[in-house]
Amino acid sequence: MKKIIALLLALVMVMGLVACGEKAPEATEAATEAATEAATEAATEAATEAATDAESEATPEAAADPADAIPDEMTSSDGKYQVAFITDVGQLKDKSFNQGTYDGVKLYAANAGKSYKYYQPAGGDQSTDDDRYAAMKLAAENGAEVVVCAGFMQGNALAKAAAEFTDVKFVFIDGWAMGMPNLAGICFQEEQCGYLAGYAAVKDGYTKLGFSGGGGGNNAACNRYGWGFVQGADAAAREMGVQVEMKYSWLYGSSFQASNELQTMAAGWYQNGTEVIFACGGTMFASISAAASAEDAAVIGVDVDQSFESPTVITSAMKGIGEAAFQALTAAETEDGWKALVGEGNDTIVLGAAQNAVGLPVATWSLTGWTVEEYEAMLADIVAGKIEINADDVPEPASTDNVNVIIIK
Amino acid sequence: MTFLIQQTLLYAVPLMIVALAGVFAERSGIINLALEGIMIFGAFIGVLFVRSMQGVAVFVNAASSGKWLTLQGLELLAMLVSAIMGAVFSLLLSFASVNLKADQTIGGTALNLMAPALVLFLIRIIANQNTLQMATGDAASWFMIKKSTFGIPKSTNLGFFGETFLHKVYLATYVCILIFVVLSIVLYKTRFGLRLRSCGENPQAADSLGINVYRMRYTGTTISGALAGMGGFVYALTTTNCTANGDVAGFGFLALAVMIFGNWKPLNIAGASLLFGLFKCIAAAYTSIDINGDGVYLLAQIGISSPLYRMLPYLVTLAVLAFTSSKSRAPKAEGIPYDKGSR
Repeated sequence: MKKIIALLLALVMVMGLVACGEKAPEATEAATEAATEAATEAATEAATEAATDAESEATPEAAADPADAIPDEMTSSDGKYQVAFITDVGQLKDKSFNQGTYDGVKLYAANAGKSYKYYQPAGGDQSTDDDRYAAMKLAAENGAEVVVCAGFMQGNALAKAAAEFTDVKFVFIDGWAMGMPNLAGICFQEEQCGYLAGYAAVKDGYTKLGFSGGGGGNNAACNRYGWGFVQGADAAAREMGVQVEMKYSWLYGSSFQASNELQTMAAGWYQNGTEVIFACGGTMFASISAAASAEDAAVIGVDVDQSFESPTVITSAMKGIGEAAFQALTAAETEDGWKALVGEGNDTIVLGAAQNAVGLPVATWSLTGWTVEEYEAMLADIVAGKIEINADDVPEPASTDNVNVIIIK
Repeated sequence: MTFLIQQTLLYAVPLMIVALAGVFAERSGIINLALEGIMIFGAFIGVLFVRSMQGVAVFVNAASSGKWLTLQGLELLAMLVSAIMGAVFSLLLSFASVNLKADQTIGGTALNLMAPALVLFLIRIIANQNTLQMATGDAASWFMIKKSTFGIPKSTNLGFFGETFLHKVYLATYVCILIFVVLSIVLYKTRFGLRLRSCGENPQAADSLGINVYRMRYTGTTISGALAGMGGFVYALTTTNCTANGDVAGFGFLALAVMIFGNWKPLNIAGASLLFGLFKCIAAAYTSIDINGDGVYLLAQIGISSPLYRMLPYLVTLAVLAFTSSKSRAPKAEGIPYDKGSR
């Protein structure tokens, strides 16, 4: 009797798992069907918009919304996936870096009618170069023509994969060129949008700022964001003749994950008077914004316009990751286009204010102490080189005359 | 001080309620090593419930128009759902250890291994990644009770008591404390409690007096599962912004340690949880703790490095366990499958 019951119980569990397992593909299929129509429409519209607006308006926003209508997973009829995306550490749906880049990939693929797929290297936060290489290899074996890799940590794996799969094109976002004709390294001038964010915060009347960054001080992009943030705050503070205090930390963010420790630390900062924290690192945003909304305080988002995620967001330091992926993929369609992208000298492609690839979100502007016109004037000054922003990799900025940087470690 | 008390409570309360879950199982004679697994499962169910309810018009309207009572109702409902599912999950353990007389340690370990795997598997299907978040907004703006919830301006000072216990708190914390008190009384002051404890001390004697040991052990483990499931959700809600990722930072195992150094007694457990919570809070926020309100951050200034602070809660647990475990007394019959025939 007991054995029968045990057997039944085991069966119930197995069936439960099977049922769960089956439900998903059905659901995704249905979703894919339903969504592809909507998506292609939306994507075409968005793409045309993007194309027309590319020169006049801030490009990063163009990719933000319609991409949500495109499903994250699609099933190609021949089992091959022409466009591949390899995620950085952290979640695909981090509402920031990974998601922003993938939105560009999806938008392009849906628009061009190509099959696409994302790969998350095994090992989660502890992914090794081998895990990343395995993901790239899998992508290439699945018939990828172009592989978009997000995050500078993929460098070693990419060097190996790009040398091995020479007929596959690789786009390295937040990366660098490696002298290989099939690899385009794209990086951004994060210090510029960090500068703008810092300037905006101080101009808006905040004098107690915070910076919580990801990558533990070893991520060049995050370091540039932070150093730019300090410089921008300093410039505004000098203009207004105020003293600014800034707490600056790389704690709890080395894997870009949200954590209870990070939330407690941020809550402590807010409790002690910090008014706004620049949450610089993917999923970490969740912890900071949770602490901020408990205190009705403010957050500055990163990479994409994060004001949709939480009412606490006053502005976001954006870089056009999705747009860059979109452009690179478009260029990769033809050999000539790709050559033009990679360039003669095969240098790292640096995108900044001059390329309209970094900035603050104008469409969701909520600052009162600093207007959109003033922002645009400053952006123009940066493009023209009238404002010089130091782009060095400075993990622990020193205090300046008007900004007292308190490093917390 | 206010900050310290609030954050300590956030960490201590889930620990306390899950340790009590352990007490209920062990007092009835079943070692519930699966606390961690049940917490993970409960956290997942609770977050999933909140996430799906965020699409229901009643709650969407309540969130946008600030009807906080409805939202608190949702919070309580989510706690209830995760408690029920935690209880269901724990039935696997009771079935294995009561009916099949399997080794309870191994049964519990199996559940601990299964829970994160199952939860991650489901989260991947649902969300395409390995963290399940709320559909919109964050835990604080939906569920936290603060001054603005009652329409009191932020600048109003509610006094020490009000600032600490009525501002920036979760209802879940107080509900858990209430449940903790009620269940502790049930365990020690009622007939049912006595019978339950007798099954963990001398089941043969209990059986000879007409107590159904099997049923008592089932009851104990089911209450344990419900508490652990709820504790898991409360942990996820209050400390990790209502997200589930197949991990509760080892709180289930810590609860076991707390239970042991609380000597299987509720009052000691409450004390032990507060001690751990305090050190956990110091570890995460030592740089901004101002103990006596004079603007001097003593802990940050004495120059101890942060890894040491982060080790503190665990070091303290180890030290206290080392000193108290020789005196602690486990229920006598725990871990031994009850066999009617043996004497």
